[in-house]
Amino acid sequence: MNLQGIKDRVGRLFTGTYHSIRTKLLICFLIVTLIPLFSLGGLSYYQSAKVINSQFGKYGDNAVAQLEQQTSSALGRMKQTAETIYSYLLDPSHSGIGAGTPSTYGDIMEKNDFESLLKSLRTQLTAGIYIITTSGYYYGENNLDVNKLGNIPMWSTKPKAYAGTYWLGFYKQDHSIKSSDSDNVPVIGLAVPIHHPDKAQDGSIILIEESAEELLRSYAKFEADTHAHLLITSPDGTVVYETDAPYTPHDNDVTWSRTLGVNQWTMEARVPAKAFYQSSGVIRANTMVVAIVSCLLAFGIAYLFSSRFTSRIRTLKDSMQKVSFGKLDTRTPIEGRDELGSLDMSFNRMVTGVQTLIGEVEQSERLKKEAELRAFHYQINPHLLFNTLNSIQWKARLEGAEDIRQMLYHLTMVLEGNLDISQELVTLNRELRMIGHFLKIQEIRYGEVFRYELDCDEALLPYLIPRMTLQPLFENIFFHAFTDGQGEIHVKVEEDHDELVLTLRDNGAGIKEEKLAQLFSPEMKRKGRGGLGVRNADQKFKLHFGPLYGLKVHSIKGEGTTITIRWPKKEESFDDESRVH
Amino acid sequence: MKKKMSWIALVSVMTLMASLLAACGGSGGTGASKEPDGNASGAATTLRFATWDTGDALKIEQEIAKKFEESHPGTKVQVEAYADGFDQKLAAGFGAANPPDVMYMWDFPTYHQSLEPLDDYASKDKDLNIDDFYQGLFNYGKMDNKLYGIPAGFTTRVVYYNKKMFDDAGLAYPSDGWTWGEFQEMAQKLTDKSKKQYGFGVRAENDTYDLQGFVWSNGGSFISEDGTTIEGYMNSKETAEAIQMLGDMLKNGSAVLTGGKGQQSGEDIFKAGKIAMWESGIWPLESFRDAGIDVGTVEMPAFPGKPLKGVLAESALSIAKDSKNKDLAWEFIKYYVSDEAIKMRVADLPVRVSVVNELKKDQDPLYKPYYTMLERSDNTPAFLLNPKWNEVNRQLSAAVESIMFGSDAGEVLNQAVKDSERYLK
Repeated sequence: MNLQGIKDRVGRLFTGTYHSIRTKLLICFLIVTLIPLFSLGGLSYYQSAKVINSQFGKYGDNAVAQLEQQTSSALGRMKQTAETIYSYLLDPSHSGIGAGTPSTYGDIMEKNDFESLLKSLRTQLTAGIYIITTSGYYYGENNLDVNKLGNIPMWSTKPKAYAGTYWLGFYKQDHSIKSSDSDNVPVIGLAVPIHHPDKAQDGSIILIEESAEELLRSYAKFEADTHAHLLITSPDGTVVYETDAPYTPHDNDVTWSRTLGVNQWTMEARVPAKAFYQSSGVIRANTMVVAIVSCLLAFGIAYLFSSRFTSRIRTLKDSMQKVSFGKLDTRTPIEGRDELGSLDMSFNRMVTGVQTLIGEVEQSERLKKEAELRAFHYQINPHLLFNTLNSIQWKARLEGAEDIRQMLYHLTMVLEGNLDISQELVTLNRELRMIGHFLKIQEIRYGEVFRYELDCDEALLPYLIPRMTLQPLFENIFFHAFTDGQGEIHVKVEEDHDELVLTLRDNGAGIKEEKLAQLFSPEMKRKGRGGLGVRNADQKFKLHFGPLYGLKVHSIKGEGTTITIRWPKKEESFDDESRVH
Repeated sequence: MKKKMSWIALVSVMTLMASLLAACGGSGGTGASKEPDGNASGAATTLRFATWDTGDALKIEQEIAKKFEESHPGTKVQVEAYADGFDQKLAAGFGAANPPDVMYMWDFPTYHQSLEPLDDYASKDKDLNIDDFYQGLFNYGKMDNKLYGIPAGFTTRVVYYNKKMFDDAGLAYPSDGWTWGEFQEMAQKLTDKSKKQYGFGVRAENDTYDLQGFVWSNGGSFISEDGTTIEGYMNSKETAEAIQMLGDMLKNGSAVLTGGKGQQSGEDIFKAGKIAMWESGIWPLESFRDAGIDVGTVEMPAFPGKPLKGVLAESALSIAKDSKNKDLAWEFIKYYVSDEAIKMRVADLPVRVSVVNELKKDQDPLYKPYYTMLERSDNTPAFLLNPKWNEVNRQLSAAVESIMFGSDAGEVLNQAVKDSERYLK
């Protein structure tokens, strides 16, 4: 399952559907690391491979040149020896050297002189110097078995008539008279026929053999060092020497070639291109390994770094998502004091703010709902009430009870104002008129025992005021402040810049201090009916115009109460006007 | 003050770097050149020892050199095996003033001027115990009464015989005091040409030195005792007779020619059981036994009525005059002729009487003839009598060889004397 996850992730990474910051960071990182890495690696590979290839090429060239030199000097030495012998034999004073076995004193003297020359021609490397005559007798060290000369591979194939030199190539020396000790050292051979007509020596062959051990060792060392295939061919195409290992020549082989000046042998060393470039291949492989390791390292570091980075963003994102689902008490942990930390901090602050705000909105919404519910409660079938009242009023008129009719009329007016909930804001004029009706009822009830004074500029009357805010206050005055309706009520409306100030003053009983303090407190349980009117009125103002506005109560026990209401000027819009009708 | 300090530091850093660079650059060179220095400081001196031996004899000599190195820490003995090229290489070494420190030597007349006289060493060094040597051996290493070589090994010449072939032919084994007549008779009887089997082998190219035993036994010699005259000696009747005898045996078929062109060496044929008798020094004895031949040895035959004479082949050790390590070279020679080293060298006869007695060599019937022949080897070889002998020898050698091919001995020896006279004037 985990594997599947990784697979998915990798898949997304490569198809490009995974556009996370991490991926981008990762790619960014890799690009930043890999471009210099690969360019540097590639450059150094190219450079060093070039140097190495050219050096190896030069080395091989030099090595072949050295082999050629070594071989040439051996061949040259042998040729020189043969020439010396040849010229010795051509000397007329040495005519005693014949084809047969020397048996006379004079012949033996000649033979001894000649053989001492041959001995003096020997060097460290000389393996054999013989002059084989037509009779089968030979000059030279007494260790040759003429019958075994056929063991030399090219001895029997040498052409009957030839002049100059005949190179026998490399072979194991196997013509010793001693059958037992056949050390069979590898030698290189040269046969030179003597053309000396009219002389007994004519037809003899000078055989020069030089130890090839050192040469072959050099060849082997060269082959081992360079893994080259060495091929020496004579001009007629005969293979003189070839590396043991099987080899198929290719066109792209690296070839070093030399021709020996002594006998026109061609020396050719071939290295398969693969082997030739092997050392640079090693560099390439190393570069690749380093690149891959660096790549993985970069990937790892990038992954680590980006995951640390993006995980914080992710946490923040998750927090935001939770908030968007409504979990407002979500807070994101603050890690570090960097930009992301401050982002976390701002986020937390913002969520706190939103939470508070939503709390407030919720609160006011709930109050509004409550008020509406209450209003709805009062609204229950006002038509029945009004019809009934009208009927009573009409009956009172028939009965001639004028004061009852009056009272019913004012009550109807007051109720109409109270129950009309179509508008929350009404003109000051209307509210004051309703207060007038309310006071008429009180007057009928108590008689003309109180005084009401209104001090309001005509111009202020169209301004709006929340509905049913003043009436409860007046009710309070009659129920709590006055006894039997006796007292004075003074209402004054003023304008203060953009605001209106209404002062309601009475000279009633006043409010006790402890009660005054509880007046605006919502927690206070309703005790009787007192105080509710003040708070409701205050809330209505605050609801409509904001918390800055509302009621202020100033009261001295026994001397009366002054309520000051302050709210912004607001005229009834045309829209509202049309709605009234 | 501070500034000065930093300058000093800078300079020292630069010199350090320079020396490092120099060390890096020269590492190849110094490594190589240090080697001998180190040896010198550790007293590792290289002593060059030239020998003509090859094969098993050479291996023994290398063994001795190794033993010497062990007992002389810091010494390296470089054994230089010149083999066939011994004379050439030695001559070249002396010519270039770069000879080996110690060398095998026999040709004192030719080389004594390049050699260090050893009388002082021999008389002063009691460890050598010079009296223990066979005294006759010192004669060969003396020139003008100065000792140039310490005898290291020697051999006399005896007749080897194949016991099985004698048994097959129903012949009694030869015994000391026999004559050439008996020898020839036996050779005739031992010859069976159908089996390519011969009684005796004669070298195609004899070393005239070895033939001196024959010649002396017949009362002849190659040169007068004062070393001035060959006329009447080299071509004398006795000399010619002795050599002619070999040619005659070849002619009558009782002997076969060996070691010539296209011929196997006498030793190889003897080992193959195709010749019954062979005349030589001690050298091939081991190889004969190794080849599984039941071999016996006997004194050389005598000419009737004439005293039997032997010829001594000696190898001595000498120190080059140009050697830079003469004392060490002397130490090496001393070790080489010590009991321990002599016992290791089986291809030579011991030069010390004490070793011979200890090993009872002279009691061993196989070895006894060498010692009896030693007693008979009191003639002075020709090469010690005349410094020009090598020139004379060329003619003599050719003459001897032609005798083997059928020439008349008296005739060719006269010719050889005639041709050689000019070298003696």
